[in-house]
Amino acid sequence: MPYYQLRCNICIPERNKHVIIVDEDRSTIPVSNAPTVPGDLTERGCAYAGARGVVGGPIADVIHMIHAPVGCGYYTWGTRRHLGNAYNWARPGVLENEANHRRHCFTTDMTEQDIIFGGAEKLKKALLEAFRINPGARGAVIYNTCSTALIGDDLEQVAREVSKEVGKPIFACASPGFCGVSQSKGHHEFNFQFYKWLIKYREQHPEVCLKEEEKTPYDINLIGEYNIDWDTVVIVPLFEKLGVRILNVFTGNARFQNLFTLPDAKLNVVHCQRSATYIAALIKEGFEVPYIGVSLFGLEQTSKALRDTAAWFGDEKIIKRAEEVIEEEKAAIAKALEWYRNKLEGKRIAIYVGAPRVWHWPKALAELGMEVVACMTTFGHKEDYEKIVQRVKPGTLVIDNPNEFEIEEMIETRKPDLFLTGLKEKYLVRKFGVPTLNSHSYEKGPYAGFRGFINFARDIYQAIYAPVWQLAKEDF
Amino acid sequence: MINNVKEIPIEGITYKNLKIEKEPLTPEYTPPPPELIPAKNRAVCIDPSRTCMPFGAMWATLGVHRAIPFVQGAQGCTTYVRYTFSRVFREPATIANASFHEDAAVFGGRKNLIRGVRNLVCRYQPELISIVTTCSSEVIGDDINSFLDEAIELMEEEMGPEVRDAVKFVVVNTPSFAGSHVEGYNRAAREFLKTLAKSTGQSTEDIYFIPGFMMPGDIRELKHMMDLMDVSYRILFDISDTLDCPLVGMPNRIPYYPPGGTKVEEFVRAGDARGLFALSPDAGGAGATWLERRFKVPSRAITMPIGVKNTDNLIKAVAEVAERPISEKIRWERGILLDAMADTLHYTMSKRVALCGDPDFVAAATGFVCELGMIPTYILIGTKSRTAEATIREVCEEYGHNPVIMNDSDQFEWEYALKNDIPDVILGHSRCVNISREIQVPLVRYGFPVYDRVGFQREPIIGYRGGERLLARIVNAILDYHYPDDRTHQ
Repeated sequence: MPYYQLRCNICIPERNKHVIIVDEDRSTIPVSNAPTVPGDLTERGCAYAGARGVVGGPIADVIHMIHAPVGCGYYTWGTRRHLGNAYNWARPGVLENEANHRRHCFTTDMTEQDIIFGGAEKLKKALLEAFRINPGARGAVIYNTCSTALIGDDLEQVAREVSKEVGKPIFACASPGFCGVSQSKGHHEFNFQFYKWLIKYREQHPEVCLKEEEKTPYDINLIGEYNIDWDTVVIVPLFEKLGVRILNVFTGNARFQNLFTLPDAKLNVVHCQRSATYIAALIKEGFEVPYIGVSLFGLEQTSKALRDTAAWFGDEKIIKRAEEVIEEEKAAIAKALEWYRNKLEGKRIAIYVGAPRVWHWPKALAELGMEVVACMTTFGHKEDYEKIVQRVKPGTLVIDNPNEFEIEEMIETRKPDLFLTGLKEKYLVRKFGVPTLNSHSYEKGPYAGFRGFINFARDIYQAIYAPVWQLAKEDF
Repeated sequence: MINNVKEIPIEGITYKNLKIEKEPLTPEYTPPPPELIPAKNRAVCIDPSRTCMPFGAMWATLGVHRAIPFVQGAQGCTTYVRYTFSRVFREPATIANASFHEDAAVFGGRKNLIRGVRNLVCRYQPELISIVTTCSSEVIGDDINSFLDEAIELMEEEMGPEVRDAVKFVVVNTPSFAGSHVEGYNRAAREFLKTLAKSTGQSTEDIYFIPGFMMPGDIRELKHMMDLMDVSYRILFDISDTLDCPLVGMPNRIPYYPPGGTKVEEFVRAGDARGLFALSPDAGGAGATWLERRFKVPSRAITMPIGVKNTDNLIKAVAEVAERPISEKIRWERGILLDAMADTLHYTMSKRVALCGDPDFVAAATGFVCELGMIPTYILIGTKSRTAEATIREVCEEYGHNPVIMNDSDQFEWEYALKNDIPDVILGHSRCVNISREIQVPLVRYGFPVYDRVGFQREPIIGYRGGERLLARIVNAILDYHYPDDRTHQ
């Protein structure tokens, strides 16, 4: 029996195939990307969360228009920490307190009447008003959610009409929450719909493409990098030091107009390989631009990312430069890294994030001397789990789409020293005296690249060594 | 710059070292077109100070002992709400979901509800499940009651009548496209009582309270006051020991259930109550109305007890219904609040204050700021209120103020008013932090939601002691922003 039955799953055996103990030959992976068992206390979100929250949300200079009842807009208003630096003015001489894409929430706030009579007209009116109120916006992204999809409002038609009227690009993303089994479907939908729209827009507006004379042989896109807590500050310069040019980051702190040049790069470097490989694959298919997958967490993986990028160009100068950069960066963090490694050696870690970080991080954690004892993803697919089981020790517990009860049982039976997880789960697990670290939006980032790795190590150290956990263990 | 330093220090990259250059989108400020400033002239809602109905029903349910909301909708309807609870309370919030995928959107959520309720019962053995609907289930037209009957029947068949009898169900219809979180709570208050309350004809001594969106600290303050009054009381939807619980170490029993919450039995006995007070007319008033109509329990909705008069009204009303004298200890606390007000009057008098928040909070807080001699200027009632506007008008008239009251508007309109007529202080929630920085006016946080500072869920603002605390917040904010340090010493 390759699957593992947790005690809490005795009465819902359909969960068994989602739980495994990694075996010696690492041949078994859990069933994944499958419908959620209703009422199991899943931690999953919806397709709208994947499209609006993850992939679309970081685009910095547009109006994000949520065509939905009030909650969908309210909950995604400035919550995820995908930061940016495009600002509007609050008043003369004073910039707003938060960047454009996080400062305001634009929504059609659908009411009962709108649901009965249709909301397309309202959406059109709302968009036109939003552009007048936010004249700096370079375009708009519209998202629908469950109810506006069910009543069949034609987003694309509205987008075309308003785009024509205001002379700015508008992308409509259908992202009803019930679509697919998790937020992963929303990533997928955003990628496909955006690519399709982008191609058409380039055809109709050839001036948005990169002109031949503006291209260089060293143009790359960083795909699936969302600038969580300013990760791009430490990542982008690494590539620039190699002598390559980053045309686009898809979509961390992205500029809308710039994204039209995505197909004009020579290479796509994909960081989050769950939410954005789709668009890299589409660009490869449509424009013969190849892509490589990288991980930018930890020393070895970040080094490999730079080496792989350099090797792809095959240019001796870049290859040499990559080695120099790696040496410089390693030297810059060596002392701090050693300090943290001494503190963290031998600690046992459980990881539960969306998907790719669960296989990005075991290697990085090993560089801090730590061991992974349990791995879980919210929306991992087969490819994610294949990588996970290769990167952890036999005996590791792996759970697909874990629910609250399973997480509790994992904590009770695996007794990790630290749980890398998200906001909803961290308060639950802390009740049990187990430290946590917000692994989606970070505690105090950036965490990526060489220099960010020290922040990651520091926050792990702070989580584990906080005196509170010792006090909690004392008899009283 | 952090990428150029030769060596990263042990403390890593701190925010101070992350220098981010801000890029303006336009060369200069362009004011919005005047006709688009009032929300009623716009189709677009910008910066709502409210969220959707299901949230309120979930909040209410989490104040019930061993109760779990079951959300009939897509997963985001649960996950986003749980994020919000986690942010505000820094606590776990256990909420189940029907996990609508495409098939549910096409064929309805019957299977999801039946299967989901069964799974929830057999793993968690809750004492109560509230079925909370969403915009999707309402648009699809799910017949929740018949689905639930079927679920209960199958449950009895599989798990036996004892299991069936051990769990109660309450259905709360909360289509997200109507009302707001406030109405969601209001409906839950009515539906819980409607479903559970009974009358044996033998009335009890208990005074019941429906707190609305009061924080755990506020509910504890209410209990403290009732203890001082020596009144026998019950608090419905009591989140004080469910959404603010101690760290207990590795549990010997999972799944995690917080220890507190109102017992189902307390809802059942509500029909025999001596009286009921809804302390938030918009969030819970419907429960009071229903209970009085159905069981003739004297029930009323009163303004949240923030400030002197609002608390006086509560204490007097409770004294009257419970036939208890107002205790000396309560008078003492009132005296302390008055003392604090007298000591700080030079800081608060004539200060211009803008308020924003849920109707029940702003209505009550406006009364208090008037008592402090402050001048309310612009008041945003976060969601259209039946009662708050009149309450605010009445108290402002009494004190001779004439604020602009925005009922059923959004923060964009309110913030624009503040930019053009800058107040001395803002009373609002965490979403007001941006405007506060932009016009450089201190923000005094209160009400729902406060998630960007800690401790607010535990520090009461209701009652006399809570009033003293809220006063201290207001005065300290004014001192921090408006007073030179050599003028603060008396």
